[in-house]
Amino acid sequence: MKEKEGFVDCPDQQMILYVEKDDGKYGPIQTGSYLTANYLDDFFLKKKNLESTLRDQLIRGSISVVKYFMVLEDLTLSELAARAAIRKSRVKKHLDPSGFAKVTAAELSRYAGVFNVPLANLLQVVLIKNKEQFEPAMILENRTDHLEVIQDQTENPYVVLTKISERT
Amino acid sequence: MTELDFKHKMAAHCESGTITSLLNFGGLDITEPLVFGISGGIFFGYFHKMKSFAFPTFIVRNKPGQMRVDIEKRLGVKFKTYAFKDPASGMTALDDLIDRKIPTACQVDFFYLDYVPSWERVHINVHFMVVVGRQGTRYLISDAYFPKMVELEATSLQKGRFAGGEMSPKGFLYHLDRIPPEIDMKKAVERGIRKACFNMLKIPIPFLGIRGMRMFSRKILEWPAIARDTEHLSHEIMKINILLEDQGTGGAGFRFIYATFLQQASEILNKSELRDLSAELMLIGDGWREISLFAARIGKNRDLGAEKLKQLSDMIRDRADVEENFFRKLSKTV
Repeated sequence: MKEKEGFVDCPDQQMILYVEKDDGKYGPIQTGSYLTANYLDDFFLKKKNLESTLRDQLIRGSISVVKYFMVLEDLTLSELAARAAIRKSRVKKHLDPSGFAKVTAAELSRYAGVFNVPLANLLQVVLIKNKEQFEPAMILENRTDHLEVIQDQTENPYVVLTKISERT
Repeated sequence: MTELDFKHKMAAHCESGTITSLLNFGGLDITEPLVFGISGGIFFGYFHKMKSFAFPTFIVRNKPGQMRVDIEKRLGVKFKTYAFKDPASGMTALDDLIDRKIPTACQVDFFYLDYVPSWERVHINVHFMVVVGRQGTRYLISDAYFPKMVELEATSLQKGRFAGGEMSPKGFLYHLDRIPPEIDMKKAVERGIRKACFNMLKIPIPFLGIRGMRMFSRKILEWPAIARDTEHLSHEIMKINILLEDQGTGGAGFRFIYATFLQQASEILNKSELRDLSAELMLIGDGWREISLFAARIGKNRDLGAEKLKQLSDMIRDRADVEENFFRKLSKTV
């Protein structure tokens, strides 16, 4: 690959690419990711759709929150069991709501650690209305008094729906 | 702030970059392509079913951690290594090394590194980086994938160092111990090339080396039956681009960095045929790059019918054919 063909404008994801320089020598250049520069929107679209599908299944009670995060994080049953240090057969039971009923607080804490989420988020689905519009203001100006938080039961007995919106 | 006089430099790959920067810090003038090539880093493996992978995948380099081992063997340098069962002991040991002004490489799960953009964060237990300073609960990190030094909270670093699962880091640390006064670079380069040729041509396992590429070209036609839906298939097809280009390969699945190694090797060994082969590998790499772009395009367009996958399969098989011929010629040079 020639040096001039290697440059991609993508400040968000820089990388090193080895190319043929003008003098015929091969060496590194700092460039950007072609995929991130051109297809990141597609990645986020697919992720959003997957999240939405899994969230519906979770709220309907057809999967547990363990399955929700396992699929979302692209983990296998074996890998999740090894990471959480919980027997594979037990993790398998935790994948559906009836088996999840037997999960212990210690196991939940381990799952939360693997998924890198607060433990409370294993028992609730948080939906933020117009997230992009009010979240910066909420963080920067500490405008939590402008927020309305409502918690609803779902068909899944182990998950509540936490809806956060801006008070009108 | 305990901070070392360590020169941060981006690199194509985290492991070869980490080893190179530690060797450079110790006074050895060596490039990343030489580290990669001497360690016999170039490889191919296809994994259709593995308990730790949620979907079939492939690798384009040797086993993680092996570069350091092979560089020790071939250059005679020594790295001191540490592993821990207890996270607290592992963090204390790291602090102690940093306080003694020793730049220390860590193995971590990429997923827990807060400075990594969300779309890049995946569970990979074999990311390497160098810790070069600390202040309170924050660590200063030289991560070869980032243009500048980055900072990381102790809690995130600990999570990354002690993640469980396949190839779990177990708090693994290493740092340079000694560099011998004289290094036989010619012998090291030859041994690296021989190892790469063996790995690509002679391992009698059907999913490794050139055989692995051919298996990949056949099995990719089965991917639609394994995927959950079209978007999942699109995601996995586009990951071909990530694995070949974005996941620290220097482009074209390490083919460009290996071509650079061969060009440098031709000067060290004074063999013009290696220069010719390096040019040939650069062209082979261009072919891999076409595969990356093709995969990204059909994935984005959801153009994933049998005809397109057959086209992708043919492109991969073609790379297997040209690389088999290439490595046979390369094996005859040393």
